[in-house]
Amino acid sequence: MATEDARYRQSSQYRLWSFAPSHLATLREKTNALAKSHIANRLRASDPTNQSPPNFLTPEEEYTLLNHFTLELLRAAPYCQLPTDIQATAAIFLRRFYVTNSVMTYPPQELIKTCLFFGCKAEGSFIRVQKIADTFPNTTGEMILAAEYILCQGIRFAFDVRHPFRALEGTVMELRSLGDFDDDRINKAHRRTREILKFSPLVTDVYFHYTPSQIMYAALAMADEELVQRMLQEAFSGQGEEAKNKIWGVIQGCKEMLEREPPEKMAKYSNDPETTKAMKALRKKLAKCRDPDRVDLVALQKARREQAAQKPKAKEDADGDGKVFGNGTLDERESKRRKVAQNGGDIFGPPL
Amino acid sequence: MAVSPLVMHPTDALQNSRPVSSPLKNINSAQASSNGTPITAPNPSAPVSLPASLDLAEQLNEEEKRKYVKGKKLGEGTYANVYLGHLKSDPSQFVAIKKIKIQKEYTEGMAPDAVREIKHLQELSHPNIISLHSVFSSKDQNLNLVLEYLPLGDLEMLIRDTERVRYGAADIKAWMGMLTRAVWFCHENFVLHRDIKPNNLLIAADGEVKLADFGLARTFSDPYKPMSSNVITRWYRPPELLYGAKHYSGAVDVWSVGLVFAELIIRMPYIAGNTEMHQISLICNAVGTPTEENWPGVTKLPGYTTEGEVHPVRGKDHYMSLFGTVGAEGVDLLRKTLILDPKKRITALEMLKHEWWHRDPKPTRKQDLPRKSGGQEKVGADLKRRPGIVDEDKSSKVARKLDFGAAK
Repeated sequence: MATEDARYRQSSQYRLWSFAPSHLATLREKTNALAKSHIANRLRASDPTNQSPPNFLTPEEEYTLLNHFTLELLRAAPYCQLPTDIQATAAIFLRRFYVTNSVMTYPPQELIKTCLFFGCKAEGSFIRVQKIADTFPNTTGEMILAAEYILCQGIRFAFDVRHPFRALEGTVMELRSLGDFDDDRINKAHRRTREILKFSPLVTDVYFHYTPSQIMYAALAMADEELVQRMLQEAFSGQGEEAKNKIWGVIQGCKEMLEREPPEKMAKYSNDPETTKAMKALRKKLAKCRDPDRVDLVALQKARREQAAQKPKAKEDADGDGKVFGNGTLDERESKRRKVAQNGGDIFGPPL
Repeated sequence: MAVSPLVMHPTDALQNSRPVSSPLKNINSAQASSNGTPITAPNPSAPVSLPASLDLAEQLNEEEKRKYVKGKKLGEGTYANVYLGHLKSDPSQFVAIKKIKIQKEYTEGMAPDAVREIKHLQELSHPNIISLHSVFSSKDQNLNLVLEYLPLGDLEMLIRDTERVRYGAADIKAWMGMLTRAVWFCHENFVLHRDIKPNNLLIAADGEVKLADFGLARTFSDPYKPMSSNVITRWYRPPELLYGAKHYSGAVDVWSVGLVFAELIIRMPYIAGNTEMHQISLICNAVGTPTEENWPGVTKLPGYTTEGEVHPVRGKDHYMSLFGTVGAEGVDLLRKTLILDPKKRITALEMLKHEWWHRDPKPTRKQDLPRKSGGQEKVGADLKRRPGIVDEDKSSKVARKLDFGAAK
């Protein structure tokens, strides 16, 4: 086994964020179902007179919306003057986040901004949050920061995303050194492949199913298949046809996925009346079925902070140290009693 | 985190219907009471009700958190507090839990050090690099890194304790081998550590040295992208960074490795400047003055200066007289790590191929390496740094008892 393969298998991208298509579908269904039952319970509890749950998004509709918002992210990124790799990292963060979080739970138009901001951080570029906030209307830095923790938790603290861009540069160098193709042809394929890589893999699920080099070869095959065949021939010389064909099959599978979202879609997307209409309908539906507690992330963050600040005593006890053996338990009870009193009436009756 | 959670956890998490917090904690959230009357948030200062149930990501987080039991505090810093902890399922398995503090001055969300450390440790898995078992956030949204527990202190403690710790050329060779392998692995994975120094080299229970603290690490930059030159603790900072170079390579780490090597031999910091200027003048004196002859292009670096007379680059004899205890081959390796021009400096890979490793004496086996002497009683006095075995046992009992409290 090639050591590069072994090393890729150690990456968080492989360990945490690579799945078979069926597995990914199951995860998304689960996330959707969980959000539905949570929101339905929440609404039923707050308004017992209205027992009929709202019309929820289906997993397919969530996916369509996710793609829509990924596109929105890619459209916004150039206005923040972000380089390609940061754009791509931000887009992948968004897609990873919504594997375990429903679009109905956390508002994607807010998460987009946080993904762009945190994408910069993850790529080692610590720009000011205000710079991202200024790019969007009615946005404050506080709003962007409010979702940072939620995002980090959602992406399972895997901050390193492996992209296919450098792989392409490497392959172009190798193609040049082979000397079988003239420069114009290589340059043309290079340009086209880059164009594809900047868009198609980010609005499909290929990052979840394929390695960066497979994605790169698939995109290159869309630009100029012969170049890929030549590279494979070089890489597998002396090995059986079987190994080569197997890889080629994988690359073709990836290519089919990429072809569903060619880069031309980007330009067409925003002024295509039909998609605009469809998106408008979906967003309307979303507005009616989303989690009422998690729309305002700033307020949510504040409430969480306050809750944490309210609990320092009990928290410290749980944290450790010898307190528990002394009068710690008393302290804890006392602090609980005080809190209950402060919250206006003990539901378990008055203190003894 | 090291296990692939998304493959398994979602189903696990769903079965985990046990409420995590006490029932009182959710008093603000709009849960139906038994008679169906909704409880509205009684606290006017918190108009938003916290979601009563945890979403999938939160459930996964809780599950990570519940795997560990936090024990006594091992150390306190401005950036993080470190606690001893152990696996709930196996109290004999210790971990170190590094709880990153919210930085009041840093108003841009998660601290850069935390982002860097998590990012790189998630990817690097090597016997000479500290392992990151897990990351979770606590209620107050503080980050907790669950790290490998390395109970035997760090190399700095061993170097400094000249009274009680004795070590020789074979021990130095073993430690340097571990350090060089760690740095090689970082560079092989396109990561610059940028803060190599003796107190970032921690020692595991079996004597293995592990490179820790990736708070300044970064991936190799693209050729057109500048990097910060304000990295690496001054005493271990290479001349190109002192001169403000914005484009640099793994050679910056190799210089630090060279200075750790020198320090292991003479048992004190070799080039310990009080200011950056002082550091430069000490380098000129100890190694040689960087000039266009020995380092083409050096005068074009933004911060290039020299003070006083120009010192020629020190020869082999000078090094032999100071560092001769590691033999001629060892001295040769040291000199190559301290080459002024980073392009000519030895790389981590070349270091591993150096002849010194094959010469006598053979490196000490890790289980035979010197440890901090003075016994466990003395360690108590050294609590500021790291505790010894006796303390661990005590605190783990405490932690086990605490378990009941945590399970509420």
